[in-house]
Amino acid sequence: MSQPAALTNRRFKSTDRAVLAERAVVSVLASCALATVLITAGIILMLVTQSWHFFESEYVSPGEFFSGTQWTALQAKEIEDARFGIWPLLSGTLRVTVIAMLIALPLGLVTAIYLSEFASKRVRSILKPTLEIIAGIPTVVLGYFAILVISPGLQFFSGGAFDTFNATSAGIAVGILCLPMVCSLSEDALQAVPRSLREGAYGLGCTPFETAVKVVVPAALSGIISAFLLAFSRAIGETMVVALAAGTRATATLDPRDQSQTMTGFIVEMIKSENEFGTVQYYSLYGVAMTLFVITFGMTVVGQIVRRRYRESYQ
Amino acid sequence: MSIPIALERDDSVAEAAKARRRKQLSGWFYLLCVAIAMLSVVVLVVLLVSISVQGSSSLSGDLLTNSHSELQPEQAGMWSAILGTLFICGVCALAALPLGIGTAVFLEEFKPQRPELRWLRRVIPLGERNWEHICTLLYKGTRWMHGFVQLNISNLAGVPSIVYGLLGLSLFVYMFNAFGQITVNESAGWEWGGVQHYYQVLSLERGQVVLIPQGERTETTLTVDEPMMALLPSGEEVELALWTPGTPKPKSKELRQRTVRAGAKGGRYSRKDWYYFRLPFGRSFLAAGLTLALVILPVVIIASQEALRSVPPSMREASLGLGATTWQTTRNVCLPAAIPGIMTGAILSMGRAIGEAAPILVILGAAIAKNSGPKHLMDDAVTMPVLIYNWAGRQQEVYQELAAAAIIVLLVTLLLINSLAIYLRHRLSQN
Repeated sequence: MSQPAALTNRRFKSTDRAVLAERAVVSVLASCALATVLITAGIILMLVTQSWHFFESEYVSPGEFFSGTQWTALQAKEIEDARFGIWPLLSGTLRVTVIAMLIALPLGLVTAIYLSEFASKRVRSILKPTLEIIAGIPTVVLGYFAILVISPGLQFFSGGAFDTFNATSAGIAVGILCLPMVCSLSEDALQAVPRSLREGAYGLGCTPFETAVKVVVPAALSGIISAFLLAFSRAIGETMVVALAAGTRATATLDPRDQSQTMTGFIVEMIKSENEFGTVQYYSLYGVAMTLFVITFGMTVVGQIVRRRYRESYQ
Repeated sequence: MSIPIALERDDSVAEAAKARRRKQLSGWFYLLCVAIAMLSVVVLVVLLVSISVQGSSSLSGDLLTNSHSELQPEQAGMWSAILGTLFICGVCALAALPLGIGTAVFLEEFKPQRPELRWLRRVIPLGERNWEHICTLLYKGTRWMHGFVQLNISNLAGVPSIVYGLLGLSLFVYMFNAFGQITVNESAGWEWGGVQHYYQVLSLERGQVVLIPQGERTETTLTVDEPMMALLPSGEEVELALWTPGTPKPKSKELRQRTVRAGAKGGRYSRKDWYYFRLPFGRSFLAAGLTLALVILPVVIIASQEALRSVPPSMREASLGLGATTWQTTRNVCLPAAIPGIMTGAILSMGRAIGEAAPILVILGAAIAKNSGPKHLMDDAVTMPVLIYNWAGRQQEVYQELAAAAIIVLLVTLLLINSLAIYLRHRLSQN
């Protein structure tokens, strides 16, 4: 009786050496996995130690940081005049993010419904690559697009009511950026809803609209919500678009036509400025970064909880 | 008993009207869907057309071969930025891909099983029941660790890239100040070869200098008041001659080259070879590449995990059934089957790395005036997105056009990379 070629050519059998090699490999691979944990630890350590320098400075009080409505870290000539209140930056970030979400969430969800429920194969073959290309466009390109097209367009249609740099044009660009992400994640969630549910709805006499909106979307709601939260945290952390298009003046208004410096925008502005390592302005960077990290991290965690706890599973 | 005929007729009319309304609503919704879905195509077309129109006039050979220029913006180019992007993404790929694929393999293929502790069991007698207990605890512990790492990776994927930039600044650029406090304009830290420190002193020959090896590293200047050994720029070692002002200058060119004025001062000058290495890394392309590696690491891990997950379990079981160890199974069966997916994920994440500007801006700063690619490991660099950011933020029309032209180059690069990914996926999945 002859053995199969695969068995004679290769030694598949577990030998002592193979077991030892396996242990070595496992420890190497485990250290790779450990590296990812160390990165998180490094981020937290870095943010805490560096922003500690900021908060212990005599020109900064934590109470003012969390409630103050003036942020003049870079505008003030003397350190005594500088005001460190996070609200202008936070409100700037929120303005841009809300505008982005107003664009990305409805459009992304409707596109996802269309792709998952109605689209023919030919339309899909156009739409899917388009979304992939938009998802692959570097953010700095979208920032440039905001300056080149969106902002002049807004000024044209509103008769010059918008600033050259404004929250709306940055928000629209960030919305375009988030749209493919919302769309593909929501589509995944919609695709996971079993056919039998749709067939049941049609069998009861529902129109396609009712099937999609009253049956399929609620069934996929946990996935859709976690997609929304991911897009939200992505929009908050988005940097290059707002650094280019949102302006550099930290304002605490609700007016979307005004300039609005975001948290990430401030970090970039600070990096570009001449402030040297070790000054209070320099460390304010880390205070802002810490706020940013806490918000985005919180959004991600909430998204995961939503997905896990409220997931409906079908056989 | 039956419903009166009038009521029944009204009812059916009302039902029909309701059904019509519902159908109409559905139709409108369908149209809305089509319109909104096509909106993304429109946006993409507007974006590409407007950038091509704006940038077409600056798209020339100069753009690809020259570097940034403040004085002659018409001839500014992006050659140094292309080189810088290439170097940084190379470092990034070398760091992120092995680490990311390794982590993915660990998480997918080496799921925790009941730990084998037979060896320990023989050495430490604790009793069968106690060992059973310890094994259960260990199993639970490792399973928890696995879940924790998995959770951690999905969280890392949501961290803004600029926060990674700040991490890279602390970790790679300053190494948490482990090598002494960083001071500006001072190369602090440990240097490991590939560099010679000199003082540079003007010689009597016009435009020529001599290099005097630096003894004490803390001395920033040197005053020449006695003859000493020095190097000519050609590398020739010579004895310095001194010339006292007031006396006639030496006539021969060879002598003038190695003669300096008595009391001449020299500044520091370092000659660095390509393998020059120091800790901390400072604002170098190495630090930027490693930081980018952190940014794309979660993306690589998640893509590789999906690729490994799509390998059918039957293949794995067949290999294990033949008596192969888990690692042999992974190496010979799972990895080859998952390679198309892993490659695609890797290339797509590199595309993301090429377009990433924020972390590089934090690591290398916003300066773009550099004429060449990195000369040594600790050299700084300019990348395409940073160059675009800088040009796009300027008021002058000419830089705006340059930015658009640079964007075209960047997008074409990305397009080429993505088509490579599609081609590889197609090619490898057929075999």
